[in-house]
Amino acid sequence: MNQLTFAIRQEAARILEENVVDVVIGFEVGTLPLKAQPAFITRKEEAEKLVYNGFCQNNLAAYLTRRPKEERIGIICRGCESRAVRALVIEHQHDRDKLYLIGVPCTGIIDWRKIEREVGENTLQAVEEGDEVIVTTRDGEHRFQRVDVLHDSCKRCLHPNPVGADIVLGDPLPEGDPERAWAPVLEFEALPPEERYAYFVQEAERCIRCYACREACPMCYCTECFVDHTTPRWAESMITPSGTQAWHIIRAFHQTGRCVSCGACERACPMDIKMTYLVDKLSYDMVQQYGFEVGASDEEQPPFAAFTLDDRNRFVR
Amino acid sequence: MNDTWTPRIVVFQCQYSLYCEADQKWMDTQLPPHIKLIKVPCTGRISPLFVLNAIQGGADGILVSGCQPEKCHFKEGNLGARRQLDEFRRFLTYLGMEEERIRFAWIDLSERGRIQQELADLEETIRTIGPIRRLVTRAIPVGEKL
Ligand code: SF4
Ligand code: SF4
Ligand code: SF4
Repeated sequence: MNQLTFAIRQEAARILEENVVDVVIGFEVGTLPLKAQPAFITRKEEAEKLVYNGFCQNNLAAYLTRRPKEERIGIICRGCESRAVRALVIEHQHDRDKLYLIGVPCTGIIDWRKIEREVGENTLQAVEEGDEVIVTTRDGEHRFQRVDVLHDSCKRCLHPNPVGADIVLGDPLPEGDPERAWAPVLEFEALPPEERYAYFVQEAERCIRCYACREACPMCYCTECFVDHTTPRWAESMITPSGTQAWHIIRAFHQTGRCVSCGACERACPMDIKMTYLVDKLSYDMVQQYGFEVGASDEEQPPFAAFTLDDRNRFVR
Repeated sequence: MNDTWTPRIVVFQCQYSLYCEADQKWMDTQLPPHIKLIKVPCTGRISPLFVLNAIQGGADGILVSGCQPEKCHFKEGNLGARRQLDEFRRFLTYLGMEEERIRFAWIDLSERGRIQQELADLEETIRTIGPIRRLVTRAIPVGEKL
């Protein structure tokens, strides 16, 4: 068991015992190797179940809006989760006083698909050891460098350290490199328009409309999503080109100035559709246009909700 | 482009943005058939989804006509909307659409005749870039009315 897991269990047990919170949301060992699963701990004895490692795929902040409003929640927060908490509090989705954030500086999530592509589907066991991931299959042991199998969003991560946490376990990490973070957006933008469109079509049209991306996203919490709206129907609900394209365009657009770049949507997608190049473009633009970054402040409204006259003389045509 | 092709244009117009009665009357009654007018109570009502729907359905050009920032009938309904629509256009451009297909006209109290000019300018631009080809997924055949 790694030190962080130990520290998390201790802290979770303490806040449950001292009745600071009603539930602690974290991770426990999953049924499959390479995938830990979310855990909801309500008794201090159960805190022993908690684990923390690079196999924790979900963005736990997605559960905040799906829990009873009056519940006091302790939540394990990596950088992206803590930023999602801030954004949700600003959007009045949660009372900050009812939350207890257990911050952990994050070294990135292991992309199980990258491993599966190398070793096949018969993984028996996977463990992290320092900078390595050791995967055991029926054919034997495979060793990977952690950096080679990180999820793409984590490779691009700008802020691995939690913001506004009540306690931080583990040592702070260096901040990410903006050049690396925005490189894919700029590279995509440099392609000729017909290639950009072709890529978009190819990715969007593989979509089966399962909405796993939405369910995994901490910022997709609408009681009625636009795609479920039937009268009038704003987007085709079938897996037609029109329907899937509209879904990809509008879901991404709804995340403008709200997406925390966690990549949970991409990890959740059963079709392995790459979609973060959409939200990343929007996040990039919010930085460029309005100097706005989600989670940077605990009070600044996202640009579309700010209602300021600052840009009186912009967008003339 | 061949001469028989007429661009299809959709106008989203805030019902307060044309203070000049003659202009509004012209919009309401005199619009040529290839221009479709959709009036909304405020720029704030123009969801990017409307714009996307028009494009998917084969609109070659879109004009968004709203009030000047500080002149919004509802005080600030247009402020967030302006930012949204501006970003939405940038986003569609990222996905391969020609930016010029969407045009904004934030019209001031005194600007009589501006809406006609904006429409003419948009139509001219669209004629040079040709019919929309990308993002049209529910297209109606060229030449038909919207
Ligand atoms: S859109 Fe994707 S990357 Fe952005 S917050 Fe939602 S799940 Fe995370
Ligand atoms: S896609 Fe848009 S409407 Fe649907 S849940 Fe997400 S933010 Fe809400
Ligand atoms: S998770 Fe993937 S397949 Fe499912 S709706 Fe989202 S993009 Fe489509």
